[in-house]
Amino acid sequence: MAVNIRRPAARDHGASRLARNLFFGAALFYFCVPMVAVLIYSFSTRWTANVLPDGYTLQWWQATISDHRIQSAFSTSISLATLTALIDIAVVVPAAYWSRVRNARIRPVVEVAAAIPFALPYVVIAFGLMQFSGVVAPQFQGTFPLLVAGHAAIAFPFVYWAVDGAMAAAGIERLSETAEACGASPFQIIRRVVVPNISSGLVTGGLLSFAASFGEFAMAQIIGRGLDTVPLWSAEMIRSYTDTAGSYNRLAVVTLLTFAVLFVLSAVVVYWNRGQTVRLLPGAAATDEGGRR
Amino acid sequence: MATLSRPIAKVGGLESTGGSASPSLLTRMRGWLAAWLPAIPLLLLVSTCLIAPVVVLIWQSFTGMGESGLSLDLWFKVLGQHVNQDAIFTSLVLAVGCSTITLVVGAPLAWMISRMLRGSRAFWLGLLNVAANFGGIGLAFAYMATIGTVGMLTLIVQGLGIAFDAPREGSMPALLVAYEYTNIPLFVLLTIPAMSILREDWWEAAQVAAATRLVFWRRIGGPILAPFLAAGWLLIFTWTLGIYGIAYGLAGQSGATAVHLITLQIGSALQSDVLLGPGRAAILAVVLMVFATTSLVLYRTMLRRALRWL
Repeated sequence: MAVNIRRPAARDHGASRLARNLFFGAALFYFCVPMVAVLIYSFSTRWTANVLPDGYTLQWWQATISDHRIQSAFSTSISLATLTALIDIAVVVPAAYWSRVRNARIRPVVEVAAAIPFALPYVVIAFGLMQFSGVVAPQFQGTFPLLVAGHAAIAFPFVYWAVDGAMAAAGIERLSETAEACGASPFQIIRRVVVPNISSGLVTGGLLSFAASFGEFAMAQIIGRGLDTVPLWSAEMIRSYTDTAGSYNRLAVVTLLTFAVLFVLSAVVVYWNRGQTVRLLPGAAATDEGGRR
Repeated sequence: MATLSRPIAKVGGLESTGGSASPSLLTRMRGWLAAWLPAIPLLLLVSTCLIAPVVVLIWQSFTGMGESGLSLDLWFKVLGQHVNQDAIFTSLVLAVGCSTITLVVGAPLAWMISRMLRGSRAFWLGLLNVAANFGGIGLAFAYMATIGTVGMLTLIVQGLGIAFDAPREGSMPALLVAYEYTNIPLFVLLTIPAMSILREDWWEAAQVAAATRLVFWRRIGGPILAPFLAAGWLLIFTWTLGIYGIAYGLAGQSGATAVHLITLQIGSALQSDVLLGPGRAAILAVVLMVFATTSLVLYRTMLRRALRWL
């Protein structure tokens, strides 16, 4: 019996092919034009009247890169994000390891905690943290350590999911049992057995939490008053529109730099995970595992 | 998972040397420490920076600023104010609109990308990944540079002689256009794996059984994908409710004419609210929490349903 088998995606009709191409063309346009606009803005002298800027210049790039305030904003943001990633790795790895090899009751507790920053807006968490710190430790308000703690708290699920997944993939329970049978101490096991076997999870989780902290604005604005991170600087610029000072051109440069940092991080994550850009809806893996157990 | 239920070797030893029927407090403490110690730093971080703040907000929403015991007074006062009702309503409308547009555009996009050849698939995934990283203040600025009053597209269209007024920066359409820029890529990246669940043989089998494409989608494709798409919709809904940076960047420009959103109200209540103080922000924050929690519970339910097909 000859059955004309076609793929479900429409490929055969001229009309539907046209519709398809229009659809993808519109999507391409929508996603590319804003980036191009920001890029041109960063190189333009004045751009308020004509279709294209009146002239092109490198002065904004030079001015921005040599600006002390922007340099210090970048160094604040980078140290904030680095500390966030390191703290998250330091607190998550032992907990995830212990929940796998000794105390299974740790897992549900951590998973409920991970749902908080996943579902609740950062504005809400930040406001709550501000009120709470006002009650217990007012001297920390508006300081760098409080913001680090806040960022570590909202970014920890990225590290937890990455590390826990890597532990599952490496079969850490058996490895650790074997190491224990050979007489290794818990610290030796963590350092010599666990860490080397979950390095991909550590890199992925660390980079994701770094990125989450680097681009974070709401919490920085609410509990980091007096600090100067890159998103806070950008917010100030976007509000103080004065064309004479060229603040928008410099904002264009900083926007591109921020974007470049975040993009490189996500590209490294994709590369590190062997081209798997795609992941299932968050929480799916955990639910799935629970269902199969 | 046999290892998990295994008693801890050291504690077992201690208990047997104790020998009594009820282990001493010290022994119990040791057992507890051995079971929980490595998790304590994480639990400390989580309880001080996530759980305590949530509890404090709920508490403050009922006590005002702790003067007069528990009461619903502040709730009535705040929810009776027009500006707060407006903020809640606008936030919900924006989130529903945004996630629905995301679904309508994102689902076909995800489907078609999932059926592409490797090369163009990689290109689109890369592009979407790039767009998903563009957010916050930077995206608000990109909006202005593109279709703001003197944005690139505005100038081009006006240059062609067409009278074109871009939506005002703090208006609903502007926020929609800007939000979709990250929402659609996120939705597509999250739902593409689900698309591969729909196997080619099922379409072939349906064709052998003389099904048309419409019947296939209504009886097979639709029902299988629906829970995944619904879960994605809920996720985008929740995230859109909570967006702050883009809204702050855009709505800051038009000041009084800007839309009222819950997140923006929380932010501004912190800076200048003499009348009800942080109590108002606390209530709005709790309202957001209720929406987010409900949505998350529904999301989990949908996901459990969806994963039957894996």
